[in-house]
Amino acid sequence: MTSTPPIALSDAPPRGWQTTGLLAARRRLRDRLATGLSWAATALVLVILASILLSLLLKGLPGLTPGALFRSSAPPGAHGGLANAIVGSLEQTGLALLIGTPLGLLGGIFLAEYGQESRFSTLVRFVSDMLLSAPSILIGLFVYLVIVAPQGHFSGFAGAIALAILAMPIIVRTTEDMLRLVPVSMREAGMALGAPRWRVIVFLCLRAARGGVLTGILLALARVAGETAPLLFTSLGNMTWSLNLNAPMASLPVAIYQYAGSAYDDWVQLAWTAALLITAGVLLINILVRFGFRRGT
Amino acid sequence: MNQLPSSMSVLHDAPSTVSTDIALSVRALDFWYGEHRALKAIDLDFPRRQVTGMIGPSGCGKSTLLRVLNRMYDLYPGQRATGEVVFDGRNILSPGVDLNVLRSRVGMVFQKPTPFPMSIYENIAFGVRLHERLSRADMDARIEDVLKRVALWTEVKDRLRAPAAALSGGQQQRLCIARTIATRPEVVLLDEPTSALDPVSTARIEELLDELKQDFTIAIVTHNLQQAARCADQVAFFYLGELVEVDSAGQMFTAPRQRRTQDYITGRFG
Ligand SMILES: Nc1ncnc2c1ncn2[C@@H]1O[C@H](COP(=O)(O)OP(=O)(O)OP(=O)(O)O)[C@@H](O)[C@H]1O
Ligand SMILES: [Mg+2]
Repeated sequence: MTSTPPIALSDAPPRGWQTTGLLAARRRLRDRLATGLSWAATALVLVILASILLSLLLKGLPGLTPGALFRSSAPPGAHGGLANAIVGSLEQTGLALLIGTPLGLLGGIFLAEYGQESRFSTLVRFVSDMLLSAPSILIGLFVYLVIVAPQGHFSGFAGAIALAILAMPIIVRTTEDMLRLVPVSMREAGMALGAPRWRVIVFLCLRAARGGVLTGILLALARVAGETAPLLFTSLGNMTWSLNLNAPMASLPVAIYQYAGSAYDDWVQLAWTAALLITAGVLLINILVRFGFRRGT
Repeated sequence: MNQLPSSMSVLHDAPSTVSTDIALSVRALDFWYGEHRALKAIDLDFPRRQVTGMIGPSGCGKSTLLRVLNRMYDLYPGQRATGEVVFDGRNILSPGVDLNVLRSRVGMVFQKPTPFPMSIYENIAFGVRLHERLSRADMDARIEDVLKRVALWTEVKDRLRAPAAALSGGQQQRLCIARTIATRPEVVLLDEPTSALDPVSTARIEELLDELKQDFTIAIVTHNLQQAARCADQVAFFYLGELVEVDSAGQMFTAPRQRRTQDYITGRFG
């Protein structure tokens, strides 16, 4: 126990409650400024978002008739609908998630739990991050070269593959990040009970991280549901009703692309309605899963 | 009195004595974190169904020793142990040991409660299912039994399906102990199990130790010397990676044989 001389705190004058002086005033001003700016930024984003949603509702809702939902594409003026595009989108994004989710999960698990800092996983992480930021039209071209050209025809399957390639790196990244947030102590506690590594990962770590992992999958879904460019080179679009994954297939984004650029009022109306449907669909899934997830815990 | 812990003599003259046999026996143990030698030539016996308290200043290697006893260090490359730890006739440091079986027989409770992200019931069932197939009724019975043993049953019996994270810190720690003993280990290792708890929860866990030693061999690390004095039958004092002294609790706290022990327990350093 050595004793150091006490710091002369008592020599300072009593401070009281008054914050006076230039320093305090400047500090208060900067605080107000920063608060004001962040409020303004938030408001700006919200206004933009609201105006997008509002114009979507205003322009899309009038076209949301049974005919638009249950009829397939038709020539302008012939009362066509979006039914073929809706099922095409459901089928292709569904299949894309079916392929992309397990691969993405496995990739994320590998990077977080097994590979860690090895050279191979650094490479995998790099490639995955490149894919994440690659322009989606490149992915479309790639799938065109690998699947469409050799097969000799466009197909919904090729479209789903392109979307899966887009979804996968998002899921890889979020899964890895979320697993890394799981504390070491949880892993050790699992191992200390004699649990093999894979069980600790699947039943403890993934479980602890499930909220974030699920969000990643949803994010991927939201991202691919609106993709147009990769589908133009792969599933192309189809004016008739078709469930065949081995043939060209319609989708909502491609329908928007085709209809919105046309000179016909009823087609433009369909484009707005299709945009509203995609937005509402993604929103709905988000809400449903979140709600279900919260009740699950 | 210059009494050796009974465990030490037993090894030489009566290997098969029932009353004071050895559950775990550490011989010439060295431990390395990379180049850093954290344990030096440790020899220590853990008598069966007794509480061995491990004390010593921060960084002296207490946790390291515990993590050798269930091979927890195996998770980390660069950490290695040499020497012997004999458990049930085998050197558990040798390569052929099934770590999952070892860890089910040598359980561990950590400093911070680590409830799994699932219900109270599932927290316990998770560990049991790893090693046994139980019928629903048997599992229910096992869970009730261990929760009663850690004095948690009355508090949680109506919310077994509620998430374990909703329990208080002290309750969580008792749940973790329940989870550990539910796999029926022979040895239970506890690393400062009460350092994150309030005095009431601490007292309950100390009572629990007394009760648990009827069935389990217990090794507990603690910074609380009173706790070691209250709970432990045998106390081991570590300093800078060495085992300085091991004695009965009474001996250690009234008449330690080593100068360094004496300095530590009288608060002259540490
Ligand atoms: N993961 C690690 N890597 C490298 N060195 C480590 C690691 N863990 C512990 N050490 C070192 O090993 C020595 C013993 O650490 P240990 O955690 O066993 O101490 P302790 O007695 O449990 O201390 P405390 O009472 O603070 O918990 C210390 O010098 C510590 O710095
Ligand atoms: Mg420690």
